[in-house]
Order: sequence, then structure tokens, then C-alpha cells
Amino acid sequence: MNAPSVPIRLAGVGVTYGRGATAFAALRGITLDIRPGEMTLLLGPSGSGKTTLLQVMGCLLRATTGRVELFGRGVEGVDAEGMAALRLAHVGFVFQHYNLFPTLKAWENIAIALDIKAVPRAGQREMALELLARLDLADRAEHYPSELSGGQKQRVAIARALAGSPQALLADEPTAALDGKTGQSVAAALHDLAHRAGVAVVVVSHDPRVEPFGDRVLHLEDGQLIDDRRPTRSPR
Amino acid sequence: MSVSAQAAPRAARRLPPAGTTLLAWRNLAHDRARFVVTLVGVLFAVLLMGVELGLLVGFARTTSGLVDHTHADLWITPAGTTNVDIAGRLDERRRFEALAVPGVAAVDLLMAQFAFWRKPDGGNESVSMIGFNPATRHGAPWNLVEGAIEDLQQDDAVVVDRLYAGKLGVGKIGDTVEINSRRARVVGFTEGIRTFTQSPYVFTTHTNAQRFTLFRPDQTTYMLVTLAPGADRDAVRTALKSRLGRVDVWPSEAFARQAQQYWLITTGAGSALLLAALLGLVVGIVIVGQTLYATTVDRLPEYATLRAMGAPNRYLYAVILKQAAISAALGFGSGMALVYAVEFLMRGGSVALALPPWLVGVLALLTVMMCALGALISIRRIVRIDPTSVFQ
Ligand SMILES: Nc1ncnc2c1ncn2[C@@H]1O[C@H](COP(=O)(O)OP(=O)(O)OP(=O)(O)O)[C@@H](O)[C@H]1O
Ligand SMILES: [Mg+2]
Repeated sequence: MNAPSVPIRLAGVGVTYGRGATAFAALRGITLDIRPGEMTLLLGPSGSGKTTLLQVMGCLLRATTGRVELFGRGVEGVDAEGMAALRLAHVGFVFQHYNLFPTLKAWENIAIALDIKAVPRAGQREMALELLARLDLADRAEHYPSELSGGQKQRVAIARALAGSPQALLADEPTAALDGKTGQSVAAALHDLAHRAGVAVVVVSHDPRVEPFGDRVLHLEDGQLIDDRRPTRSPR
Repeated sequence: MSVSAQAAPRAARRLPPAGTTLLAWRNLAHDRARFVVTLVGVLFAVLLMGVELGLLVGFARTTSGLVDHTHADLWITPAGTTNVDIAGRLDERRRFEALAVPGVAAVDLLMAQFAFWRKPDGGNESVSMIGFNPATRHGAPWNLVEGAIEDLQQDDAVVVDRLYAGKLGVGKIGDTVEINSRRARVVGFTEGIRTFTQSPYVFTTHTNAQRFTLFRPDQTTYMLVTLAPGADRDAVRTALKSRLGRVDVWPSEAFARQAQQYWLITTGAGSALLLAALLGLVVGIVIVGQTLYATTVDRLPEYATLRAMGAPNRYLYAVILKQAAISAALGFGSGMALVYAVEFLMRGGSVALALPPWLVGVLALLTVMMCALGALISIRRIVRIDPTSVFQ
């Protein structure tokens, strides 16, 4: 049985917001495995449930029905602190608006992530600089987020999401606020990550520039998975 | 992971602060104006609490000063005595009854009685005459800075405190005044013996005091009991009480405490000071709570991000508590500096600000409590934070 090697497994997952008359089913009957070493794209019209699905995969949101497993372990019955611990251990997030800590320098933003993961303080700076170097930001380590361009900010955010080497990286529209070329380089960085580091990367995107980088493309509509394919073209 | 011999000390030297400490500092430093308000709030609260509680302790010490500085195991006082400054009279012959009680080694007489003091330039003041036994010096003035106790043997000799020299119209040894129309001569000065009654203590021998205050030669105010070695104080106290009848017998600490309670409660000084200190505490809690909460609300997206990243709640609380702790430490430090400045300025006055180490400890504890309570509303807000809000 190779279940533990599947980073994220969803079986018959549904999410309903609200109750009674105002109840709204944002996700219905989602069954899928997210695999390591590939970049999965999550596409679909606005309101189709992409963000909701990403939140369920990342243990930020509890499924109303169905079963969610992280590395073979079911998350039903896990309390809020337990969910946080699962995120900490397995998942890195990248947000559309970067969500960097504005009062911290680039390397300190990453050091915080390491600190939460209980990486000894003596090694934090070095590891943070290493991660920044991996995203071509070695010379921006001492800059505050307000001193960085959008693309640089998003790469700092990716470096931060990678702190502590999570096996899964979930990104919600990471290129939406970036211009064409910058968006492409961020997408390429995410693709690299899946292929070089074996991370399971899931990217929600509306962005056609991101599409060529997907190894697998999922289509959501009205909270249902309507397509799951692997384009044969390899990017670049 | 192997660390080379040279790398280890270098790494130790530039060890970054804990992430929570870093965030706490930066959150505070990022909004300096608000941080200054927090610090001023803590400082003001510490100043208010420090001065009020320091006065309370100072007053308490003043009211019991005579008892605290008089050597005695037990005090025999006229029945119904409530404080050391105001008391009726005891028949001196009762001393022999007391001496007859087993366990009593010695019994001294101590007089305390109000008298009129006529200044050299005319004008009257009320004083509290203290007459002690010059042979044992139990109840003698402490902190004598000029003159000698022996000089009190002369029958017009008195010792007063420098703090009240101006009020009493005297300046140097040899100045003469009238006490209850009898000539009195200053033969010495003490320093720092304050009174709570506004009637300064005037020390002399028991015999002189009897004369000055028109007591009969067989009258006194208190009897000071020294126990025989190994005697049981409680047993002797009970025996004295049943033998002497209409008197009160106090362990000296109990009499000191009684004097403190009497003055601080009957004058309302105690509750007024406590109330003012409490006000300082409340003001501090409100200001710290208010500013800390405003900072927390400003930073909610960052707390949500931390939570989304998987930080346990205690990590978020630590950031807030450290902000409170930093405010507490800096505010306490500067507040205490001001309290000590006030204490210094009041040294020459008739009101003392007492700051024993335990009180400084209490103030530190109150400051910590104040800041922790102030942090509580912020923490209550953070508990409910929704990590999915980072996606909006
Ligand atoms: N907290 C919530 N409470 C109630 N309804 C919600 C909540 N969050 C999302 N929804 C609803 O669930 C549906 C799916 O939302 P979701 O954010 O997952 O869509 P999305 O595919 O990410 O859309 P977009 O591309 O616009 O970001 C939407 O109809 C939305 O209105
Ligand atoms: Mg969305």
C-alpha cells in the first residue's frame, strides 16, 4: 500500500457554507489524489470553488462531507490546533496578495516561518538566505517588502512557503497581481520546485501564462470536478 | 549537521531573537506614537501606584515608628488604648505587680503625652512628649545626629527632630523654649523621626517628662516588658493580663500593627491612598489594553497569516504578551525612576515615601498584571481569528 506517499487525498469531499435556507454547496463530491513531483493547476470560473478546494487540501477548512487525508492520515476529528499542526508539518501556502510581514526584512519573513517550525535560531538566517538564493533573491535579503517589486515579493513568499521543506505547496492565484513576464517567472519557479524538489504543487489560476507550466490540469465548475487531464506538451 | 569549531561561536554571537520577540518589537516600533502612549500610560500608572503605596507604607511606618524602635517584648497599655500616640495613664506601682509575674525579667516605664510647646518667638505648637528610662534607653530617640542621650539627664533637657526644627522654632543645641510653661532646652537633634499626628515627638527622660506634662510622680503611660530567657511570650502575656486586670498587654508587633491600622483607617488616609493606587492600576490597564488592542487590530492580517502558516495559538499569544512585557519593562523602569525622584524630593519633608524592596517587587508585579490584563482583550480577539481570511 502506498497511501502514505500520496500527499493529499480527497474522497467524496463536499463543502457547504452556511445552514438551512442560506446553505450553499461550494464543493460537491470531489475525489482526487495530489501527487508529489508535479505541478497541478486548478482552473475554473469565478465562484466555482477553487479557493475553497485549496483551503480543504491545506487543512485550513474542514470538509462538510467526505474524507480528507494528508499523507495517509485522515483529518476528521482533528481540532483547530491539530489542523494548524498539520499545516505546519506538511503544507506551504502562497497567497495572491503575498501576505508578507511588512515590518520584517525579506530574510526575516522566512526566518519567522522557520521559527514557527522550531528550527533552531542559530541556523535560521543561513537557511533563509539559502532559500532566497534559490529564488534569485540573494541580493534582496535585507530589504523590507515595501522595497520589493511585486514579483520579488511573490518570490519571497514562495521562499517563505518553502521554509522547513513542506511536501506540499498550495498557491492561490500567485500571479494575478503580476505583469506578464514576472508572472511567468513565478510560474516557472513553482514548476521547478515540483520537478527538482519533488514537492506536490497545486496552483489556482485564471492566468493563461501559467497554463503551460501545469503537468496536470483540473477543471472545476459549480463546485464539481469536470475535467482532469495531463497535457502532453511539456513547458518551455 | 556538523558545525566547525570557528563557526560555532560566530553563530552564537549573531543569534537572532526569537521570532515572537522580533515581531513584538517590530509591531511596537512600527507605530512609535502609539508605543509612546503605551509607555506614558504605564509610566503614569507606576508613578501613581508607587507614590500612593509608598506614602501608605511611609505613613504606616511613621504611625508605628515609636513602637518599632522601642525595645520591648510586650507592651502594657491602659485599657482601651488604640495607638501609641494617644493613651490614658497607668499607676507606676503596677510595675511591681508585673515584675512578680513569672517569666518577666524587667519592666521599664515609657511616657507619651501631648504638651504645649511655646516657641522662642511666641506662638504655640502641640508636641508629643516621650519620656524614657535613661538607664535602659528603651524608647530613647534613635538616629541622634547631634548631642548625646546623657545630656537628657539635665532636668530641662529635650531632644527634637531636625525635620520639625523650623516648626518648633529652634535651630541649634542650647535653644530654649517653654513646654507647658516650663523652661526647656534643646540638647540634641535626631534626623528622620516623623510623626503622623502633626505633634512632633520631643524626647526626654521619664522623670523630666512627668514634670513637663504635670503627671504625678507615680503615673506613667506604658510599661515595657522584657522577658526572661526562655519564657513563653503568650503565657506571660496571659498571666500579666489576669494579674494586672484593667490593662491591655500587646506583643510589640501587634501594638505596632494596631497603631498603623488605627491611624490609616480612622483618618481615611489608608483607603484614600489605596483608592488612588487602584485608580493608577485601572488607568494603566485601560491605556495598555486600548493601545495594544489597536496595534493588534492593525496587524490582524499578519496574525491570520501566521495562523494559516500553521503557527499554534500560543505563538500568536506570545507576540502579544511580549509586546505587553516590553511595554511593562520600559514603562516600569522609567516610572520607578520618577518614583525615586519623588522619594528623594520628599526626604526633607514631614511626609515620608517609603520604598522597601518588597514594595518595588509589588509594583513590578502590579505592572506585569496590568500589562497582562491589557493584553487579554487582544488575545481574546486573536482566539477568534479565521486563517481562511488570508485568501480574501
Ligand atoms: N466564507 C464563505 N461563506 C459563504 N460562502 C462562501 C464563503 N467562501 C466562499 N463562498 C462561496 O463559495 C463559492 C466558491 O467560492 P471560492 O472562493 O472557492 O470560489 P473561487 O473559485 O475561488 O472564485 P474566484 O475565482 O472568484 O476566487 C462562491 O460562490 C462563494 O460565494
Ligand atoms: Mg478564489
